[in-house]
Amino acid sequence: MSTDSSKEALYAASATPKYKKVRRVTPAESPVTPVDKTPDPELGHAPIAKERYTSAQFMQLEWERMWTKVWLLGGWERDLAEPGDYVATHLGKESVLIVRQRDGSLKAFYNVCLHRGNRLRPEGTGSGDSFKCQYHHWEYDLDGSFLRIPDLDTFVQGPPPCKGIRSLPCEAWGGFVWFSLNPEAGPLSEYLDPVDKHLAPYNFAKMAMTRDITVEWDCNWKASVDAFNESYHVQGIHPQLMWYLHDLDLQIDTYERHNRYLIPFGTLSPRVRKPNTIPDPIKVIMKAAGMDPADYDEPIENIRRDVQKWKRKHGAAQGKDYSGLNDDQLTDDYHYLIFPNVTLNTHADDLMLFRQRPHETDPNRMYYDIWTFELIADGAPWPDRPRHQHVQHGDKSIGLVLDQDAHNLPGVQAGMHSAGFDGLWLGQQELRIRHFHKVLDDYLAGGPTAQT
Amino acid sequence: MDLQLRGKKAIVTGATKGIGRAIVELLASEGADIGFCARSEDEVEETTRSLQAKGVNVVGGAVNVRDGDAYKAWLTETAAALGGCDVFVPNVSAGGGMDSEKNWWKNFEIDVLHTVRGCETLMDALKASGQGSVVIISSTNAIETFAAPMAYNAMKASLITYAKQLSQFVGKHNVRVNAVSPGPIYFEGGAWEMIKGTNQKFYDSTLRAIPSGRFGVPDEVARVVAFLASPASSLITGANIVADNGFTKGVRY
Repeated sequence: MSTDSSKEALYAASATPKYKKVRRVTPAESPVTPVDKTPDPELGHAPIAKERYTSAQFMQLEWERMWTKVWLLGGWERDLAEPGDYVATHLGKESVLIVRQRDGSLKAFYNVCLHRGNRLRPEGTGSGDSFKCQYHHWEYDLDGSFLRIPDLDTFVQGPPPCKGIRSLPCEAWGGFVWFSLNPEAGPLSEYLDPVDKHLAPYNFAKMAMTRDITVEWDCNWKASVDAFNESYHVQGIHPQLMWYLHDLDLQIDTYERHNRYLIPFGTLSPRVRKPNTIPDPIKVIMKAAGMDPADYDEPIENIRRDVQKWKRKHGAAQGKDYSGLNDDQLTDDYHYLIFPNVTLNTHADDLMLFRQRPHETDPNRMYYDIWTFELIADGAPWPDRPRHQHVQHGDKSIGLVLDQDAHNLPGVQAGMHSAGFDGLWLGQQELRIRHFHKVLDDYLAGGPTAQT
Repeated sequence: MDLQLRGKKAIVTGATKGIGRAIVELLASEGADIGFCARSEDEVEETTRSLQAKGVNVVGGAVNVRDGDAYKAWLTETAAALGGCDVFVPNVSAGGGMDSEKNWWKNFEIDVLHTVRGCETLMDALKASGQGSVVIISSTNAIETFAAPMAYNAMKASLITYAKQLSQFVGKHNVRVNAVSPGPIYFEGGAWEMIKGTNQKFYDSTLRAIPSGRFGVPDEVARVVAFLASPASSLITGANIVADNGFTKGVRY
């Protein structure tokens, strides 16, 4: 009796706000990116085990069966424009060197000198005619082959029998370079499917990098992936975004490995009352499109539609090609997770990309890479590439929204160790998290998805 | 104290939410018949039902006060439907903003012109009342520096000058004209609720500037307006009554 009434009271206090569905483009109105809703997978409702975030054994299993099997984002292709340009990127205990070849192709290598195991290049981008180890000056050509081994005649056994540093699969897509630690990896396009087709109409190649930051976070890499894979947290930690986006009317789609949600921007959350004036965050969207909020006399609920119409009408004159994008893509966030660790906030005029990398040894730590890009109008000057910054959590603001995201993560990680916590208790708004963990489980089980 | 508002005819613009809504609710509770407008038909209907429940005559209209002709026609029709006009409260505002020069035009047309047009259109009815009262809604932003040099602030200041000079002009007809300058007023769906969500720092600093540490609420402004609207305030005209809970700091002799 008392239990029933307290349960009723709890539900009454916790009800999801009612809302009118946001108008979305139909599949026929989307020239390239499919907008069909995928059927929600039956993934049950069981808690997600907390040990996945804390266990060294689990971390090792992830390494053996997942990180070393999948395709991974290595760098921004513009950093590798000329022969000899390279990027060295770390992942766990490994480091990979991706190099533009003299014939224009790309090659990737383990970033390690075959002599005594020294890293050939520190993490980051650069350019050179060859790679000379800074220890005993073993030198490798751009294609990884030996160029010079000082005093080779003193090595009775001769040089290592391989011809040079060991290569890895490497391909470019979407303006980015990708590699795999799996020598047997299939084609990148098969791995990315269908996300590569979905994102084709965005002008990534015309986007300039505006931020390049790595933050060390005290949490497991999956806690970060989870943090960006649902919008349920908006009402919890991003109050300002409730005057900016619709955090409830999302379309969640799950694919073989990857997933996405389509989230309407430039509109109010049903959690807040309609104000008399246009909220500042929505004004930002209008101004970016070239609209004057002071000259807008329609109700706030029409803004999203009118920004779409405005950009469609004026985009070409502004030097921006929106022809491959549907109307919703002109305002909304098409938010993708490329398994396992690339989060893409995709918009017509910008891209906010997060790469979550595991720590070398500690499941309680990770590296969070923020790469942001802005569409450069035709004829407009390109800004200089920003310098890479590497900071500790809390040392430096990474912007209000991301600071809000980051704030809870050490607490989340600490809680994973608590006897008072049984595992992640996920709602349907968090379906992408469940899907992500299911795909990870497929890899750990060596299941069909893992056969790339 | 009897405010002597029973049976008076009051016209209030922008009365479905916030301060305007509190004003019509209070005037109706005091027995005044109400004419009011807002832009949204749904909101006008809802407010009409709420006011009618108080047993007074209510005439609500969906009008954009920026459309001068439509607005003036609505005022004339509403005064006729009510059988006169004793109280006029021009309350609609375009709000703040520094997006472009258009903000100046918008605040001029909405905050200033809608007040002037309303006073001119209703002045014959107000004179005929014998106890006519106009209460213009200004803002503390008019009398002290606030946030930024917004059109809103300067246009609200012009309303205080207008109220004073109009009061001299029509005083011989027993029409009183006053301004009320509310400080920060918090209500659901209001600007400060949004600022609390979108700019917590600014919200907090504003709150700290109020000695008692709380924002005003619309009912508190409505009580000041009701007093000025009523014959109970018969000696007060040409005044700017600051209702800000100590938010402003300047000393005015």
